[in-house]
Amino acid sequence: MTTCDEIEADKRNEQPSLTRLVLFLVMQGVAVILVGFAALFLSFEPVWSAERLSANYLKPGDARSGSLLIKNEEGYADATRLGVDVDLTVSGPTVRARVTQIFRNPTKDWVEAVYVYPLPSGGAVDTLKMVIGDRVVVGDIKERQQAKIIYEQAKQNGQKAALTEQERPNIFTNSVANIGPGETVLVQIEYQEPVAQSGNEFSLRVPMVVAPRYNPAPVVQSVDFRPDGGGWGSAKSDPVPDRDRISPEVLDPTTNAPVNPTRITVRLQAGFPLGEVKSHHHAIKTEKADASTSIIRLAEGPVPADRDFELTWKPVAEKAPSVGLFRERVGDSDYLLAFVTPPSVEQAQQKPLPREVIFVIDNSGSMGGVSIIQAKASLIYALGRLQPNDRFNVIRFDHTMDVLFPAAVPADREHIGRATSFVDALHANGGTEMVPAMRAALSDNAGDANYVRQVVFLTDGAIGNEQQLFETINALRGRSRIFMVGIGSAPNTHLMTRAAELGRGTFTHIGSVEQVEERMRGLFAKLENPAVTNLTAKFSDVTADITPVAIPDVYRDEPLVLAAKLDKLAGSVEIKGRIGDRPWVVTLPLADAAEGKGLSKLWARRKIADAEVARTTRQASPEDADKTILALALEHQLVTRLTSLVAVDKTPSRPEGEPLKVSELPINLPAGWDFEKVFGERPRAPVMPTERRAETDARVQVAALKRAQPVVTQAPNTVTLPRTATDAELKMIAGVILLTLSLILLVFNRRQFNRRQMSLR
Amino acid sequence: MPRVVLPLLLALAGLILFGQGAYIYAKALVAQVLLERAFEKAIATGRETKPWSWADTWPVARIEVKRIHARAIVLAGSSGQALAFGPGHVELTPDAGERGVAVYSAHRDTHFAFLKNVVVGDEINVMRSDGKQFHYRVDATSVVRFDASGIDPLAGGHELVLSTCWPFDALTQGPERYLVHATMIRDAPGSR
Repeated sequence: MTTCDEIEADKRNEQPSLTRLVLFLVMQGVAVILVGFAALFLSFEPVWSAERLSANYLKPGDARSGSLLIKNEEGYADATRLGVDVDLTVSGPTVRARVTQIFRNPTKDWVEAVYVYPLPSGGAVDTLKMVIGDRVVVGDIKERQQAKIIYEQAKQNGQKAALTEQERPNIFTNSVANIGPGETVLVQIEYQEPVAQSGNEFSLRVPMVVAPRYNPAPVVQSVDFRPDGGGWGSAKSDPVPDRDRISPEVLDPTTNAPVNPTRITVRLQAGFPLGEVKSHHHAIKTEKADASTSIIRLAEGPVPADRDFELTWKPVAEKAPSVGLFRERVGDSDYLLAFVTPPSVEQAQQKPLPREVIFVIDNSGSMGGVSIIQAKASLIYALGRLQPNDRFNVIRFDHTMDVLFPAAVPADREHIGRATSFVDALHANGGTEMVPAMRAALSDNAGDANYVRQVVFLTDGAIGNEQQLFETINALRGRSRIFMVGIGSAPNTHLMTRAAELGRGTFTHIGSVEQVEERMRGLFAKLENPAVTNLTAKFSDVTADITPVAIPDVYRDEPLVLAAKLDKLAGSVEIKGRIGDRPWVVTLPLADAAEGKGLSKLWARRKIADAEVARTTRQASPEDADKTILALALEHQLVTRLTSLVAVDKTPSRPEGEPLKVSELPINLPAGWDFEKVFGERPRAPVMPTERRAETDARVQVAALKRAQPVVTQAPNTVTLPRTATDAELKMIAGVILLTLSLILLVFNRRQFNRRQMSLR
Repeated sequence: MPRVVLPLLLALAGLILFGQGAYIYAKALVAQVLLERAFEKAIATGRETKPWSWADTWPVARIEVKRIHARAIVLAGSSGQALAFGPGHVELTPDAGERGVAVYSAHRDTHFAFLKNVVVGDEINVMRSDGKQFHYRVDATSVVRFDASGIDPLAGGHELVLSTCWPFDALTQGPERYLVHATMIRDAPGSR
């Protein structure tokens, strides 16, 4: 009976257990779906934030230019940001530039920002201002060490401080200490520069990025073993002791959007009715205030700081004024700036001497991209311009070097053909060992006095050991003249001008392929026509401190630029020289000089350059030269190798105990450069950026605008709207579903339990 | 007893989720009460007043749409934390009453839930924490992507934009935003 009963009970239970299984499976399924849904929902936040992050913060390139950056819970971008505003005023012969760097710290930490930037090599930096909120702190000129100590002290004390140091005559570093979380600090520097003139054309140039420099191997790799030394050698000192200071991080343009948006405004008061005004590498908008005044702005708003800004202007008149004389009274001295363009005199009696031209072409990695194309085009053009009675040779270098012909060869068709195909086959790669190439170019073995020896050196000058090159030129130049041809979007103008000066030649800049022919034609006019030599300047009845002391030779279409400090403004200055075989004299009455601005600074800057050259050429001992430089710099408030500007805010702002992080601001790769050629292989990025525009940090602009600083003119903005949906509803619904489910399960279990109980009874 | 554990776990999870959701609403409601007090105090004292001691934001304005009896205290900044308590004044847009476009932003399901009832022609009153009052009239509504709002905060004119997520009844967060554009009414009675 019992057994039978049991069997019956089993049979009865079979059906519900099946349903129970099915039900259980369904429940399981629902639970899985719910959990999955919950997981999906939970992961929404990161998914969205990731998208927003990438859209606005981490890869600014994905964001549309000009979008506002808004703080939200995902945080800020993690780096200090920088905006640059360049405001130039050209008054006659001089340019007054005000460069405003807007440092914004979007992080939650206190930050010290360090930015390495270029300035024109002839620029005299004399003013540093730091703007915090509505306070302006004006910097003082101090000896470099002392300035550094003052800055470090302020940094330790939690005070805001700014320091402007010169690394090279054209590379400067701004350090700004104690930028608080979310704060914006403006650093303004001002410099004075002479306008450049060439023939009929006046120009100015604003370098915007320090191109990555090739720094030859450090100490350990350059130990000299004398052949007879028996194993004893001497370790050479590092050719670039300050390599860290001139090598900021460079962003790979394929994976990073351009940084450091820059605005440029030029107030051009030429002093004569303006003809053509042209920007060579940027689109501009020109606004004519009157016949001789124009206001020039960038046409498309801010640009990334990745190439030089070059502006040229011409007078309406057929011929530019060939003489300019300007004066300024500072203290009890008069300063004078004179521009004289010697006439181009045709050589009647004598045929010019045939020339021996040594072409040197830099095919190092930094020349990769557009630069090598420009260099090759320039060199091939130059080869075509040689006369049959000239002689030539070609040298190419990277970290290795090749000399095409064992000695200079006649410029006949066969040799030119060989040279052309040699140049054509060049590829940009490797390091930049410029010194051996210069040494080879200057080795003048034949020494044939019937030939004028000229070295045409095509490079971007992207090296850190400029001083070594200058010393080489100074030691070996002999009778050769060196004509530097600067290639690319951001050449090292300091190297170019100083090398040309030491080599008694000229500096030609070619910034784009379109400029190759025009500029090379200009260079050949200089090469083929006799220079104005033996130049002297004599003041009639005043004592004058003239710079340059020894006036360099002046080539075709170039002006002779002379600065002088006078005890009084009286009498005249007589400039004498020889154009080819003819004597040339010009007398300028000083009374006719026009009022100029900042001439004393230009004179001092030029004197400092003279002292630096004297130091290089060992005409003055390093100590004497340094003493001269220091005295001039302190008197005229200029930043030099030995002096820095430092500004310290009196009130401390960083609370004690808060750590300070150093943020070295990255820079762009100069336009047209090939990242891989300079920095080696990198993982391939699948996408190439289509349009290079710097992300405008509107936050910074508005901050600047609110301060009523004449810094930023307009802000092309759109607001990024914050996320405005809560998950409250979703959470509540999910909660209710789960609760209901648990209730159902409970009830279901209870029934099962009851049934079991019943069956057991 | 495993068959009790599963429902209990589910119940717990459900309660936690529900609680979280309810907490968001509760926070939004309670905060507005505290903010109202802080705002009154700010108007009275003329100083930025934090609604509670650990708050990282403070009331900057009160907006009111009389027709539908909706009002909210606007906070400085539009971070997620601030938006949990009230509408946020989006950074870098001008204050209400100033030249340009002031942008206020809030959650669609709490403080700006009333935006779906706002129609063109409605009047929006804004009282700043300095006591000044400004009146705006709604002249348009639109739906945009969050990163393409087309709002130039420095545009001429005196405008106000209220922004919230779109669509109103969606459960998940999306990239679209609903905007209510309003322009200041000049010489409105009672202004200033």
